[in-house]
Amino acid sequence: MIQLQDIEKVYRTKTIETVALHRVNLHVERGEFVSIMGPSGCGKSTLLNIMGLLDDPSSGQVIIDGQPVKTHSDKQLARLRNEKIGFVFQSYHLIHDLSVVDNVELPLLYRNVSASERRKRALAALEKVGLSARTKHFPSQLSGGQRQRVAIARALAGQPEIILADEPTGNLDSVMGDEIMDILLRLNQEEGTTIVMVTHDENMALKTNRLVRFFDGQQVADSRLVEAQI
Amino acid sequence: MIRHLFKLIWNRKKSNFLLITEMFFSFMVLFAVISFVLYNYHNYKQPLGINHQNVWQLSFRPNADSMGQAKAIQEQMMQRIKSFPEVEAASLAHNNVPFAFSSMSMGVSYGNKESVETNNYEVQDAYKDVFQLSVDQGRWFGPQDAVALHTSVVINQVLKDRLFGEEEALGKQIKVDDSTSYTVVGVIPHYRADSEFAEEEPALFRRINLEQAKPDQLYASLLIKVKPGTGVVFEEKMVKDLSRIAKDWTIEVTTLEKMRQSKSKLTWVPMAAMGVVCGFLIFNVALGLFGVLWYNINRRYSEIGLRRALGATTRQIRNQFVGEVLVMATFGLLLGLLLAAQFPLLHVFQLSAEIYWQGIGAAALLIFLLAIVCAVYPSWQAAKIHPAVALHEE
Repeated sequence: MIQLQDIEKVYRTKTIETVALHRVNLHVERGEFVSIMGPSGCGKSTLLNIMGLLDDPSSGQVIIDGQPVKTHSDKQLARLRNEKIGFVFQSYHLIHDLSVVDNVELPLLYRNVSASERRKRALAALEKVGLSARTKHFPSQLSGGQRQRVAIARALAGQPEIILADEPTGNLDSVMGDEIMDILLRLNQEEGTTIVMVTHDENMALKTNRLVRFFDGQQVADSRLVEAQI
Repeated sequence: MIRHLFKLIWNRKKSNFLLITEMFFSFMVLFAVISFVLYNYHNYKQPLGINHQNVWQLSFRPNADSMGQAKAIQEQMMQRIKSFPEVEAASLAHNNVPFAFSSMSMGVSYGNKESVETNNYEVQDAYKDVFQLSVDQGRWFGPQDAVALHTSVVINQVLKDRLFGEEEALGKQIKVDDSTSYTVVGVIPHYRADSEFAEEEPALFRRINLEQAKPDQLYASLLIKVKPGTGVVFEEKMVKDLSRIAKDWTIEVTTLEKMRQSKSKLTWVPMAAMGVVCGFLIFNVALGLFGVLWYNINRRYSEIGLRRALGATTRQIRNQFVGEVLVMATFGLLLGLLLAAQFPLLHVFQLSAEIYWQGIGAAALLIFLLAIVCAVYPSWQAAKIHPAVALHEE
């Protein structure tokens, strides 16, 4: 589904050159739930950004569904992000001036989807994350866990094949973190959504199918885990 | 997307209130200035009805001669002036000549209709030749009018329309008061003598009959049409000659062109001043708008990153910010429109509704243009923000 081939990412300033990723090769299969772990600054988020087509690698290539994206235009990349990928961020990234349902509709705004269809899909996504009663609320009226559930609903509204989650439980307490993790596991197991999750939490990572460890920009371990459990 | 933008601006109405208010005031100021300019331009495009080229005004101020002597002297001067080959036509008049800062008016009525306030001009037969007036209906004055039962008058089309409407005016009598009435013998299409920027007003011409003039009446102006190319040499010669006839009289000569220019300044100067004030205001609004947009974009880095992650192209990000400014402008304009629309509906200042609607349209267009110009660069900057960087800004 997603292939990273010899990915290098180097940040250059006038005086310093920082290697964020070094010769990363990773193949995420359809329906997998992959967790990525490693210490801060090891390149996990950079990897996720490259996978999500939000950043370009310095060298190497990203292949999605067998298609290299290197030569894709801004419009083609935007379309891929919009249709194939859903993002969940640690700090939720909700728009505070929009209601819950309007936030969830956002990815559909960039497609030719009618207003009524947008609303229908947004409400369905909110139902999946158990927030049907909060559709008219604004993000400031929700708890951290609820906000993250809105963010997941937003990622689901576009019916993506892949969800990229960057420390989705990082800002939440253990109870709320477990709730979010349960939602992600259910999505993976029941709907076959491919999920790549960056996490610092070993317990969360152990619930996934596969654990990839990074250190200093390099992939140091890749282990298949036992059947993921809800 | 448009609905989304309206929703976004509406939900942020508190923080956008000042900007919307600024747009509202800018629209109102632009509307006022543009309407004023359009009104003047509209008038400027209308025919004057007179040809003032090569027309001079001679103003007389007699010395202490008795009125009888003064009239005799003026008669001699008239004869002398007419004898100059450079002079094509000459007519006495009061001081309310075209482009002068002087006017005479009176009320006239027809039948049971309400009295119409009209400018009143006393002129001689040659006045038509001095200004090359064209007569649409009827005729100009002639010697036959000296013996007419009622004083003959020529009116302009504006007065004709107000007094008679569609009815024929020629031969009809119009009343000044119970004892004075005039017979209309001619209608001229236009006579716009106040200023080229002024609206045409009702005008009524009466014939000067020197034989029947009151003993204490002296016409203070003489208008002469000179041949093209006649200049100061002739002016000096003429004044010298006239000074020999009218010793100690003050004689001033000026051209109607100079008078036109000086009258036009009365409109130009305030129009230019308003333009400068308006330009300054717009410049300030533009700076404010630019600053607020710049600030907004910096504040909304993570939102820009999020939208890119959710599938927005750089173009869509650019269009969104331009669109938001246009939506804010629309809110400001809607408020302004509510107020501005009262002007044509209530006929404020008696201006035609068409001018107000054009003013509203032009002001709205300018506001939208201003909004787009101010939004383009910040929006372009917003679109250039790298999504991965923007997402880590929060």
